[in-house]
Amino acid sequence: MTSSTPIPGSPVDPVELAASAAPEAACDCPTGGLSRRRVLQGLGAAGVSFTVGSAVVGIASPSAAAVGGGDNVVVVLSLRGGADGLALVVPHGDATYYTARPTLAIPKASLLAPDEMFGLHPALAPLLPMWQAGQVAAVHATGLPVANRSHFAAMEEIEDASPGTSSRTGWLNRVLGTDVDPLRAIAIGDLPSALYGPAPSMSFNRLDDAVIAGDDKWDPTHQRRRAMAMQWRSKGGPMGTAVRSAMTAVSELGPARAAADRRDDFPATDLGRAMAEVSRTIRGNVGAQVITIDQGDWDMHVSAGGVASGAMVDNTAELAGAIAAFFADLGPDAARVTLVTISEFGRRVVENGSGGTDHGWGNVMFLAGAGVKGGRYYGRWPGLAGNLDSDLPVTTDYRSVLAEVVATRTTASTATVFPGFAPQAVGVMTGL
Amino acid sequence: MSRYAPARYPATPILSTSARVLVSRFSFGLTPTLASEVLRAGGARAWWEKQIATAYDDPDGLAAEADWWPNQHYDAATIWQRQQAGTEGSWAVMANYGRRLLARRIVTRRQVLEVMTEFWESHFHVPLGADNVAFWRVPYGEEIRQRALGTFEDLLQAAVLHPAMLLFLGNAISTKAHPNENLGRELLELHTVGIGTYGEDDVKAAARILTGWRVDQWKTWNAYYSPRDHWTGPVQVMGFADANAATDGQDLTRRLLSYLAHHPATAERIARKLAQHFVSDTPSEALVARLAAVYLANDTAIVPVLRALISSPEFLGSAGRKLREPSADVVATYRALGATIKPPRIDSSAANQMLWQAKNVGLGPMEWPRPDGRPTDAQSWATPLRALASMEFHWQVAGGWWPGEDIVWRTPQQWLPRPRVSLRVLVDHLSRTIHGRPSTEGLLRSCCVATNLAPETVITKDHPLVQWGFPRLLGALLDHPNHYER
Repeated sequence: MTSSTPIPGSPVDPVELAASAAPEAACDCPTGGLSRRRVLQGLGAAGVSFTVGSAVVGIASPSAAAVGGGDNVVVVLSLRGGADGLALVVPHGDATYYTARPTLAIPKASLLAPDEMFGLHPALAPLLPMWQAGQVAAVHATGLPVANRSHFAAMEEIEDASPGTSSRTGWLNRVLGTDVDPLRAIAIGDLPSALYGPAPSMSFNRLDDAVIAGDDKWDPTHQRRRAMAMQWRSKGGPMGTAVRSAMTAVSELGPARAAADRRDDFPATDLGRAMAEVSRTIRGNVGAQVITIDQGDWDMHVSAGGVASGAMVDNTAELAGAIAAFFADLGPDAARVTLVTISEFGRRVVENGSGGTDHGWGNVMFLAGAGVKGGRYYGRWPGLAGNLDSDLPVTTDYRSVLAEVVATRTTASTATVFPGFAPQAVGVMTGL
Repeated sequence: MSRYAPARYPATPILSTSARVLVSRFSFGLTPTLASEVLRAGGARAWWEKQIATAYDDPDGLAAEADWWPNQHYDAATIWQRQQAGTEGSWAVMANYGRRLLARRIVTRRQVLEVMTEFWESHFHVPLGADNVAFWRVPYGEEIRQRALGTFEDLLQAAVLHPAMLLFLGNAISTKAHPNENLGRELLELHTVGIGTYGEDDVKAAARILTGWRVDQWKTWNAYYSPRDHWTGPVQVMGFADANAATDGQDLTRRLLSYLAHHPATAERIARKLAQHFVSDTPSEALVARLAAVYLANDTAIVPVLRALISSPEFLGSAGRKLREPSADVVATYRALGATIKPPRIDSSAANQMLWQAKNVGLGPMEWPRPDGRPTDAQSWATPLRALASMEFHWQVAGGWWPGEDIVWRTPQQWLPRPRVSLRVLVDHLSRTIHGRPSTEGLLRSCCVATNLAPETVITKDHPLVQWGFPRLLGALLDHPNHYER
């Protein structure tokens, strides 16, 4: 606002100096400070899903020192709740699978891309072209070295990936390294524990929402933003860091906001919408090198459904449709993007009495995009047992899979990212 | 004297720092009205004891708090029948439940009871969005409210075996042939002893003990006990063993829950959770141990533990150590602004719209999608996304732009404590009203930047600040670090 009593020498945050140079201008905030349209947009976005949106995007930009070669992007897609890997990639060559799953088993005839042991769930059909083109691979019987059936403890263990240490840094934060210029470290949304640590990160749901409300054309001298910058300049604690990161990132995300919004080309699902934002951010080339996304609702204890419909089919179709649309939308940028899926644990071999499955151990991981030797199934099959308590045993530590991605698509050292761990060869990535 | 030396406007009541910590942690936001109530009661501690002693004195008044949504009174059969008939989806019952929680937290005078209700309802978390819980979720919350100041054992017995919980964690259709382990696991991991204290065999035995507690899904939604679904045979959960020969396992279940409620690991876990919620994200081990001992010595009674907590020097010295989570930000902001929310008439009524604001800031009440309940630590909520969302919400309400129906916002003129007041004094009045404490030089400076006014500027009803610039001043108070703390 303007005033009859301007303050000479009023305090101005140095960062904001350039913005504050504008001359005094009339302000009619009461009608324009927050347009009705924006409010309604916000309302619409919130009204889409009843629960908290199950897909969340987080982005981190590492320093150039941590990741050389610069342009590669690793996208980590977490299947929250414990996805049923025995349904995603079906071991049709293991007879126990069919006796253990009288109502849930997928018939061999329905499977896609079968080899003598495995085949893909039919709802993964959108990924079939990429599979056939050698751009998608699956590694089976992966997971933690020791079973952990608690959602929360398993997620934390997987994302920390540094057993035996008390440090609260996630493996992705270690990929970024510690020497991160705070102005380059963009932080936008909810952060998975894989990103906890000293390297700042940004999270958002939608790029277009990554703005400071009220810091608009009605406030040409940025009075609101300057006051906020003063108040938070030296505030300690996590919220102080968050507010300052937000204020910095809002301006640095300009190029990503300028990239075309092609959301309509994605499936109208939580994950589809989230992947649209990820693609737009990558195309905008703001320097993001690690991106995390979540897909929820995999914890199917009850009524997982059959081969044609139900919760398993819905979630699987959402997953495949979003990944396929993502790589299609990336266009030429797909050449620098590698996606890997991970879930905190698999499900038990034998279905339970509620048409679902309980918490198990081994699972499947998918890899897609740049550097992936796709079109085939990896991992050593341990054979299934059909007791009530039987798990799919883990024969490939999940860190061995991630280590190949880290080694080939980043310049971070696998010894730093997975301290004390000796990876075994999986062979799923080129350039090892 | 510095040009930005703060003024004092003592007519607007505030509390001492330690009293502010107590009242602010055990309410959804300190206001001048609440500060006066505390002072009248003879201080924060006396106010707190009175809140506890009188929480249930007026049951009709308690039941009438923000009782604005008719579907909150429907039983399971009615909700189901209306859903079947296409009259109203059960999700609408849950949306209104979240709205009522927000409204209740804003208006209730039983602030301590409501704070403890949220604490326990989050501990025994049944997400509003989970499948099929809508049929039983409203009475579930009320059961917890009725026990929120009682004993942990009573809460545990009521919550774990409630149809809402049985439906949420799959026990409602568990069978003896294939016991569903979901509730058995969360009973140990989340509700009682906590991870690291039990093994997989304990989970399986707990799941077996729980077989038989069922709900008649898709028909009446009545809860019942089914002896023919109860797994029989010897069971052992930690130090609790039983032959479990009878097909009626109800008494066995009750004894298991009693055992778990009194387990030292449960005592430690509850003590830690209370200390983390009310004191700091990283309470001392000594405080946790002391609270756990009080819990066990008092047969799991909650109030003695809280009393020990609020008496500890660690609590009294913990000002500024807790961050408001998203829905707490929304509730505290409405309280701070002194807005009057009226019973809703239409979708755009404030009491209906507030839910979307809480979701936008990060999470509506009881909507955390996992069984562990929403986190309340700073690390989880202090994200840039949250910062931007809070800024947006603060801006919406600072200007009274949204919501616009069935709410009376205080006008800028009403915010002036006197007809003619300097900005310096006005900022102190606002600081006392919104932050519950006196203004500082730093706050005054930032308010001068936000308004582009000098501190000595005289403000009257005709000043441009009151005419059209007030949102920037209120925004500067709401976006300030003080308003993020509880």
